[in-house]
Amino acid sequence: MGWQAVEGSFRDPSGFVYSRDGTLYRQINTSFRQRFEAFLASGLYDELVRDGLLVPHEQVGLEFSATNDACAVIRPQRVAFISYPYEWSFGQLQDAASLTLEIQERALARGFTLRDSSAYNVQFQGGRPLLIDTLSLEPLEEGKAWVAYKQFCEQFLLPLTLMSTRDVRCSTLLRSYLDGIPLDLGSRLLPRRTWLSPSSLLHIHLHALAQSRYAGSAVTSAAKGRTMSRKGLLTLVKNLGGAVRRLSWRPAGTEWADYTTDNNYSETAARSKRNLVVTHLRESRPGIVWDLGANTGEYSRAAREAAGLVVSFDVDPAAVERNYRRVRAEGETGILPLLLDLTNPSPAQGWAGRERLSVEERGPAEAVLALALIHHLAIGHNLPLERVASYLVRLGKLLIIEFVPKSDPQVARLLLSRPDIFPGYTKEGFEKAFSRHFSIRAAAQIEDSERWLYCMSASPQAAT
Amino acid sequence: MYIDPTTGSLVLQFLAAGVLSVLAMASRVREAVKNFFKHLIPRRGRWAGKP
Repeated sequence: MGWQAVEGSFRDPSGFVYSRDGTLYRQINTSFRQRFEAFLASGLYDELVRDGLLVPHEQVGLEFSATNDACAVIRPQRVAFISYPYEWSFGQLQDAASLTLEIQERALARGFTLRDSSAYNVQFQGGRPLLIDTLSLEPLEEGKAWVAYKQFCEQFLLPLTLMSTRDVRCSTLLRSYLDGIPLDLGSRLLPRRTWLSPSSLLHIHLHALAQSRYAGSAVTSAAKGRTMSRKGLLTLVKNLGGAVRRLSWRPAGTEWADYTTDNNYSETAARSKRNLVVTHLRESRPGIVWDLGANTGEYSRAAREAAGLVVSFDVDPAAVERNYRRVRAEGETGILPLLLDLTNPSPAQGWAGRERLSVEERGPAEAVLALALIHHLAIGHNLPLERVASYLVRLGKLLIIEFVPKSDPQVARLLLSRPDIFPGYTKEGFEKAFSRHFSIRAAAQIEDSERWLYCMSASPQAAT
Repeated sequence: MYIDPTTGSLVLQFLAAGVLSVLAMASRVREAVKNFFKHLIPRRGRWAGKP
């Protein structure tokens, strides 16, 4: 066969994504030929690529096609790390929503429309959201409503409204509802005051009621021949844009968002740790580094000095949001903040458990940072050190990990309200557990602290 | 079309577009009326400082 389908690319009969010899291709099927050619000829593709809204591609010959019904094959620019909406912070989801609406506005101006508005069609590249589904745009059929309106409300507007008005942790619902949070559920979960907000009332609450009222009715009888003008569509899209922009969330008050400014590092210790991290990374010059428990990304930025991209994971939505805001404010292109609970990482899920990849399947990273993390896993979550080591070895080839001893105030804090049932949590116990999966290349005490920084390589037998 | 827009969503969309268009038109009329009166009644001090 010579090609492997990308597991999440099967819903749209117009084409699909696959890889061949490690290169990513998208096949356009004959049924979509006219619409695809019209899109390219309209100038919309050039405009969107020029302004960094759509992934650029190169057209290649049909010899690269996967099946017989191909009319064209494109080679899209590869996104360095695929992330999913349930891993994004509030600001990332909001920016992805705004991108989708901006593309729809520009498309309407040229007589085109987005035929889907899946949040999974957006990825973050160079610090900014980017539409990666080139086949999402097609010529507008005058008089037709926007087919992706419900999808937009369920995948963007409703989750953002829940996060903004109820609780930012509502974004985890996106992990259960891959097609978007059902409107009826969202309508029930939202605070009553949202009935007084015109946009929430219209696009969510009344939308949910209409869903239930017209369930089982045919479009022809319910719509009674109504048509939608292009101006009407534009008004709708602009209103959705305003609704998205007006939603806000202040990243404060959570445990970790203030950690960087409220920890027990001296300036000397912080500098020493930073230098050690950068020195170890410079020796291997990794393309992609995963920073686990990155908080607001202080050491991700240090790692960036020696790496092409640092994926900056943290469990705290406020920390990830702050990290992302800094990426946007400073125009940083090599940091990708993402939400991840390492004790319950994003699983493989969707159809056949293959549609969305687990974190592990998106690796292994060339290097993994686990700074000020081990005590949270081992003591905060009762994870045996050996189990931590056996998972981390699956995530990356090189591990830079900090050992925080029991004498450290941060560990003492974790043991404040519980008995110490961790006799094995010692420097020696740590080294023994990790030596089963890694070979320790270097270990150095962080200056002006009792903490140690280790650089380890995955043992060949551990990786198998 | 490969996703299901659902009947309820389409009906709501027609309603939403209609309501929003009327509101947008009302807003434009209100702005036009405001601007008309703004130009009709010169602001105090408009001529101050002119020779």
